[in-house]
Amino acid sequence: MLSDPLSKYITGGVAALVVAAIILGFVVVPIVQGSTAEIDPWTAICRSLGIQAGSPARRTPVAKTGARPVSDVIWDKATLERLNHPNREVGAQLAQEICAACHGQNGVSPDSKYPHLSGQSALAIYKQLHDFRSGVRQNELMSPVAQALTDEQMIALSNHYASLTQGTLDRRLIVEANPQVDRLIRTGDTARGIPGCQSCHGVGAGGPMETPTISGQRRQYISTQLHNFATGARRNDVFDRMRGVAARLTDDEIELLARFYAEQ
Amino acid sequence: MRSVERLTLAHLWAGFAAFAVACVLGVWQMWVRSPLTAPLSTPDHYYQSVTAHGVAMAYLLTTFFVMGFGYYVAETSLSRPLPGKGWAWTAYVLSLAGALTAAIPILLNKATVLYTFYPPLTGSALFYLGLVLVVVGSWIWCALMLIAMGQWRRDHPGEAVPLAMFGTTANAVMWLWTTVGVAAEVLFLILPAALGLTQTIDVGLSRTLFSWTLHAIVYFWLIPAYIAFYTMAPAEAGGRLYSDTMGRLTFVLFLIYSLPVGMHHLFMDPEHATGFKFLQMTLTVLVAVPTLLTVFTISASMEVAGRLRGGTGLFGWIRALPWERPMVLATGLAFFMLWFGGGGGLVNMSFGMNAMVHNTSWVTAHFHLIFGGTVVIMYFAIAYSIWPKLTGWQSPNVSLQRLQLWLWAIGMMVMTLPWHYLGLQGQWRRVATFDYTNPLIAPWGKWVVFSLIGGLILLLSAALFIYNLAIMHRQPARKATTSQSYALALHPPHHVPASLNGFRLWNAVVLVLMLLAYGYPIAQFFINPAPGAVVHRVD
Repeated sequence: MLSDPLSKYITGGVAALVVAAIILGFVVVPIVQGSTAEIDPWTAICRSLGIQAGSPARRTPVAKTGARPVSDVIWDKATLERLNHPNREVGAQLAQEICAACHGQNGVSPDSKYPHLSGQSALAIYKQLHDFRSGVRQNELMSPVAQALTDEQMIALSNHYASLTQGTLDRRLIVEANPQVDRLIRTGDTARGIPGCQSCHGVGAGGPMETPTISGQRRQYISTQLHNFATGARRNDVFDRMRGVAARLTDDEIELLARFYAEQ
Repeated sequence: MRSVERLTLAHLWAGFAAFAVACVLGVWQMWVRSPLTAPLSTPDHYYQSVTAHGVAMAYLLTTFFVMGFGYYVAETSLSRPLPGKGWAWTAYVLSLAGALTAAIPILLNKATVLYTFYPPLTGSALFYLGLVLVVVGSWIWCALMLIAMGQWRRDHPGEAVPLAMFGTTANAVMWLWTTVGVAAEVLFLILPAALGLTQTIDVGLSRTLFSWTLHAIVYFWLIPAYIAFYTMAPAEAGGRLYSDTMGRLTFVLFLIYSLPVGMHHLFMDPEHATGFKFLQMTLTVLVAVPTLLTVFTISASMEVAGRLRGGTGLFGWIRALPWERPMVLATGLAFFMLWFGGGGGLVNMSFGMNAMVHNTSWVTAHFHLIFGGTVVIMYFAIAYSIWPKLTGWQSPNVSLQRLQLWLWAIGMMVMTLPWHYLGLQGQWRRVATFDYTNPLIAPWGKWVVFSLIGGLILLLSAALFIYNLAIMHRQPARKATTSQSYALALHPPHHVPASLNGFRLWNAVVLVLMLLAYGYPIAQFFINPAPGAVVHRVD
């Protein structure tokens, strides 16, 4: 194929440059960078190749304190697969025996203090049950109930309520509200660092997968949770998402939002 | 009207229709980002609009334009009927159906993942299936270009393939290589997730496969502009191409250097080691070679034309050029924008400097100036040049074409220079709203408004462009000649080496470079799989 001088020059030139780049990128630069970070040449070369983790230019930092996650729920493949294979009979039975007293028949709560569960996503219910069980979320009624449940039972219950459609929760789009609430829901308040509620709680929004549906939720429950997030009494939200938002809302705004979502 | 003309017009109008819609969306997006109050402004709508704008501009305008222009070049430069016209129409219908299929979920806000996909975000499967159809249509185009060139070479043994066709086929070969990355990402990673077959996705592998495509796709868009530089602009300026060999070299070098360089989009990503980033950065630098070759060759060709027209002295030939001709004017404006866009690109591709401008408006400014500026203004010039040959009617008002080109260049500069500055100030790209009450951010406001003015000028120019084309379909326009002539070289290529008359050698070189640059970086995901990221559905 290399029959003419031009093609020889081009391929030769490219080959020479590639060799130079390989020597520089995988040998010279890592060794020089490594020497300033007290990394031995061999480790630096291995790191530049990607066969050892870390940068050839920096020592890998070692954490002196252990991480303290705000929730023990890990959305990995195994958890999701277990959530997709519930025992529906157990779910229905447990709901009747344990949950119905507060959350009502079919997950429609008779008391504004307690949330509706019907139609809520299985991911949302599982996350909260798990958090009650592990203690990162606490409530005098729910904590002992959740601590008595096994993982399989939590999965069964989560799916049971997610499968109900006659409840009050649905995923309707927000259509209108008073201008102040409308702004908070759609765009938030950039000046205060508040994202719009709809950014996570809207249909098909890009929020975390465990984000609950809040349209049609009980007013008092929403209000209480926002206040709890604001004061730090509730702290099982990953990355402080809800604590950050709620702490920046005024009491009036919390009440307006709670009323708005309850009426949806 | 001959069938290839109908085919070309159908493709180009499809592309320009997508372009017109995307221009409106683009201006609205800038309005949203500015301190002024835009209608319908919510973050949701902003990202939906960014998705539509990106898909329309980057996938639809370009693919339809490249295909349509390719068919035209194949028939006119080889002076023989295009083979497989039935297949070409099939490809068109597939691509159009794909475009509409992808548009529906975007309009329904079920595919707001931006045109770069961003897994583990996953939109409606229809969105990805639609784009796959567009790509399948373009693969048929590639096959037809290869067949057209192959048949011509068989019937003209030892003769040099006309440069315009050589460039078009180089683009087809490059596109086949280019689409392997994104096709693998969509077919094996994203679509199974979108269809609910898998619950996790390897984000690192996805981004790596997309990077394979991400740089070369820009050259796929760019090569028609380069074909116009080499084969149309010198002819329309009344001169000759300074060097046919330089043209061939440029197309070959684009093929080689476009692919093993995509990791420069991943400099800040943690999944790759520094050595491979360094290697790909070095190969990226080489892209400057075909660019500078072109600047030199086309400037020399224009000098030939200027001197033939009586220009004298060191710069007198520039004044003597026929700037009233849209192709010549567009070439000048394109080169002007290329300096700024290319200069910005040198910062992006430098491993260290990239960290300062990563994900800022600087990046948006760079690709709008290179693609929206240099490339698209040449799309306009090509359209103005070939439209009379396609419809048989000349424009009754060429001054409107010149005005449109000037507006486009001015609008693009007014829009993108502030973006470069804002990028250096740290303004994020792809962010819907800014807190202009923040003293650190407040000074950005006036520059965003300034760039919005540039956007409005571009919108005006886009509307004028559509008008300029539409009036060439009307009967009162003057009858035009329908034969296309390409620039002759000063030294016509009676005999060129086999390596500059085909792509066998260069495919081998690309294969070796890709193995070196992407072999281990992709293999590592299979040797030591990372924990999958949970699929995050937005539909």
